Amino acid sequence: MAEISFPLPDLGEGLIEATVLEWLVGPGDQVERNQPLVEVETTKSAVELPSPQAGKVVRIHGGPGDKINVGEPLIVFEVPDNTAGIVGTVPKEEAPKRRVRLSAVLDED
Amino acid sequence: MSNSILESETSVESPAAGTVMSMQQALNRALDEVLAENPKTLIFGEDCGRLGGVFRITDGLQAKHGEQRVFDTPLAESGILGMSVGLAMAGFHPIPEVQFDGFAYPAINQIVCQIARMNYRSRGTLPMPITLRVPSFGGIRAPEHHGESLEALFAHVPGLKVVSPSNPHEAYHLLKYAATRPDPVIFMEPKSRYWQKGEVDVARPDPAGGSPTGAKVMREGRHLTLVAWGAMVARCLQVAELAAEDGIDIEVLDLRWLKPIDAAALAASVRKTRRAVVVHEAPLTSGLGAEVAQLITQGCFDTLRAPVERVTGFDVPYPSGDLEDEYIPNIDRILFGIQRVLEYKRG
Repeated sequence: MAEISFPLPDLGEGLIEATVLEWLVGPGDQVERNQPLVEVETTKSAVELPSPQAGKVVRIHGGPGDKINVGEPLIVFEVPDNTAGIVGTVPKEEAPKRRVRLSAVLDED
Repeated sequence: MSNSILESETSVESPAAGTVMSMQQALNRALDEVLAENPKTLIFGEDCGRLGGVFRITDGLQAKHGEQRVFDTPLAESGILGMSVGLAMAGFHPIPEVQFDGFAYPAINQIVCQIARMNYRSRGTLPMPITLRVPSFGGIRAPEHHGESLEALFAHVPGLKVVSPSNPHEAYHLLKYAATRPDPVIFMEPKSRYWQKGEVDVARPDPAGGSPTGAKVMREGRHLTLVAWGAMVARCLQVAELAAEDGIDIEVLDLRWLKPIDAAALAASVRKTRRAVVVHEAPLTSGLGAEVAQLITQGCFDTLRAPVERVTGFDVPYPSGDLEDEYIPNIDRILFGIQRVLEYKRG
């Protein structure tokens, strides 16, 4: 398993920090890509940050009321070695689904 | 090898004498062996060295073979491929990586104007034994430039060979074969299939006795041939199983080599089934499906029961991840294509 750290991104043009309002996930949680992770407040607005990837949460940084600077660690995920750092999402293998049925009268000559 | 992809994913107890591994692991093993067997081989690209590649294909190779032979490059594809030209002229066998399909564009000049024609230009005195690995096609919800299908662009360039594996077994053997060629090979890895496991028979590339440069029948059938390559082969095998529920017996031909195309295998399959649908992720217009349709028409005109159908991506830029399920041919679109062929009536 490998650890991937996600730093606080710049949430507006040139914002330098954000204040944690509420964590929506905690250590040990398995999260999906785009799942809301945390609500933070900047000088412009309060926003929910979606997860950049799927993985298990290892650590979160800062509790309610704490300020975090842009670029500092926000959350650390644990992911399998063979998916660590990849761009995109590993496709899920699903049972094939169909709506179209075939009909044909085949001459076998 | 018939049904190998589907069977190997659902049952690891099948009796073949292979090792079960992912395409990632199969490619990594092939590269490891090529480095060990040929001291002139070099592997390089963005993040190929210390990180082991963004898809882990070169994982551990720098630690094992050293920083002189497996190394990182600056983020500049024209430099990666330009350097490959010089290294090949100096007698090396480069295996460069372009991290994603869409980043091959900045290196088009080096690929088309140098790599593809240096052997021709030098009357055979400067061969270009370069295997360019390109993680290709869509299916991983990635941003722009990370889901493109460039096979028709590359196939159109005289001097290049183009190949795409469809499963771990093919990946291992086709990469080992490509890396020993004296000619430049564009090796298109279907990135959405990197993690799926399958059986790899290391000792036997083609147990059925086929040519390493030929197409391969992955499932035999009587009524219609589905022609595909890369990630679409697995989808066509799923479609074939569904069609069997409706009494339609489908043959799936994995083209494997996209330049040159195995025209004889196309003709042999479609002369038997008399109907064909070609499936690819790339846009329709001037896609490789047109070439395949012509080769089938040429080889099977008298026996064809219907015009060859194409089920492809659309003539738009590759969409963002949220829309790619609408863009890439899905099971129902392929079934519709099959139905159009089945119900065709001569006028």
